[in-house]
Amino acid sequence: MPPGNEYAAEQLKNQGNAHFKDGDYGTAETFYSQAIQKNSKNPLLFTNRANARLKLEKWEGVIDDCIRSIELMKENMKAFFYLAQAQLAINHPNEALSSALMAYELCTNSSQQTSNAATISALVLKAKKAKWEIRERDRIRRRADLLSELEAKLEEDYKKDVHEIEDRIASGSVGTIEGQEEKADRKKEYDDKINDLRTAFALSDPENLKLREVPDYLVDGITFEIMHDPVVTRNGRSYERATLIEHLKRSPTDPLTRETLTIGDLRPNMALREACTEFMERNSGWVYDCVDGEVDGDTRWAHLSCT
Amino acid sequence: MFATKRLQKELIKLNEKLPPGITLVKADDLKEWLMDIQVMDDNPIYKDETYRLKFTFSGNYPIEAPEVVFTPVQTPSRPIPLHPHIYSNGIICLDMLAREGWSPVHNVESVCVSLQSMLTSNTKRERPEGDDKFVKYNTRRPKDINFVFHDNGV
Repeated sequence: MPPGNEYAAEQLKNQGNAHFKDGDYGTAETFYSQAIQKNSKNPLLFTNRANARLKLEKWEGVIDDCIRSIELMKENMKAFFYLAQAQLAINHPNEALSSALMAYELCTNSSQQTSNAATISALVLKAKKAKWEIRERDRIRRRADLLSELEAKLEEDYKKDVHEIEDRIASGSVGTIEGQEEKADRKKEYDDKINDLRTAFALSDPENLKLREVPDYLVDGITFEIMHDPVVTRNGRSYERATLIEHLKRSPTDPLTRETLTIGDLRPNMALREACTEFMERNSGWVYDCVDGEVDGDTRWAHLSCT
Repeated sequence: MFATKRLQKELIKLNEKLPPGITLVKADDLKEWLMDIQVMDDNPIYKDETYRLKFTFSGNYPIEAPEVVFTPVQTPSRPIPLHPHIYSNGIICLDMLAREGWSPVHNVESVCVSLQSMLTSNTKRERPEGDDKFVKYNTRRPKDINFVFHDNGV
């Protein structure tokens, strides 16, 4: 490297930084490129240009810069961080996840960079989510293909049978009415099979559980929520203890029959409580399984978490 | 406290399926809903008419009853039904909606159904006694009025 080039590169980098600060990322990128021409051994010039290119959404450029920067300096948290973002943007979640994890590891191992931990861990989660979404999309597509293939097979068989019956009617070996009846039977058989097949697919699909409703017998008639601690009244109806007590404080009557009812009359409904607990465990278990151990933020399930 | 979640669930059910003659008009928030009801039989007093109900919920719903009144609309035509328990300003005298008669197992749908049957079973084309005076001077909220539920035959 000719003497003075390192200094010139530093000057150009500073100009690039100034433009970056002003939000003029295009000009910043140009200055960083000039700096790199003067000094191609400084990993920071590459990460700076990668950051500018990230803003300009030049994803391929970001990836090139990060890789070159990492070649120059292995423990390069910034480069891995920018790399992960670009990989996520071009829909390579697997690579993005490993880059983000690398950045995270470097970040937690270095004392001065821990303030970035939250930002990077958010990126890790984002990459995980993207990865799960792709897997889920493929899975649904595969299932749909299999289902339509099986449906086509059933339809083919059905059509063949109908043809055969029609041929027999035409040839006179079976009466018209008898033939029609046979066709109707075959049609019903076919419809039933299709229904059973679809039901079986729907049941075996964990996605299907999402739409599953809490059965009415586990639901408190006052809050319309699944019960945690059901109590039974004298007329045999069960309610969530807390909400029923709220009602009894106001009016000591059975909500349904209006007969006198006091808090002392209530008895816990053990079997129903077991059923509620079992339902909650089964369903929230699914919630956690499917998202790679991440906490599911879906509010639809918020009521299922025991409080 | 309970109101939000419970109303969200009621809304989901109302959007799925409603008994005949009951329509959800507006439920933009969880404070005030508008419902339309019609009487399904041939009672000549109410035949071919539709009435608009306004539900107002407190944060304690369904432990506390909602405030339910008929509310008049010009277009489409939504008059106040003629009934010896319904004042001409839309205030309804029904024990189910009063403090003591309410039960938290009731809901928007069951209130609408009760009002349908209250209209269906009526044969008198009249307003409550003292309607003029009540409408003119009443400043209380419907829930705070202590109606005397005397003639349960109507």
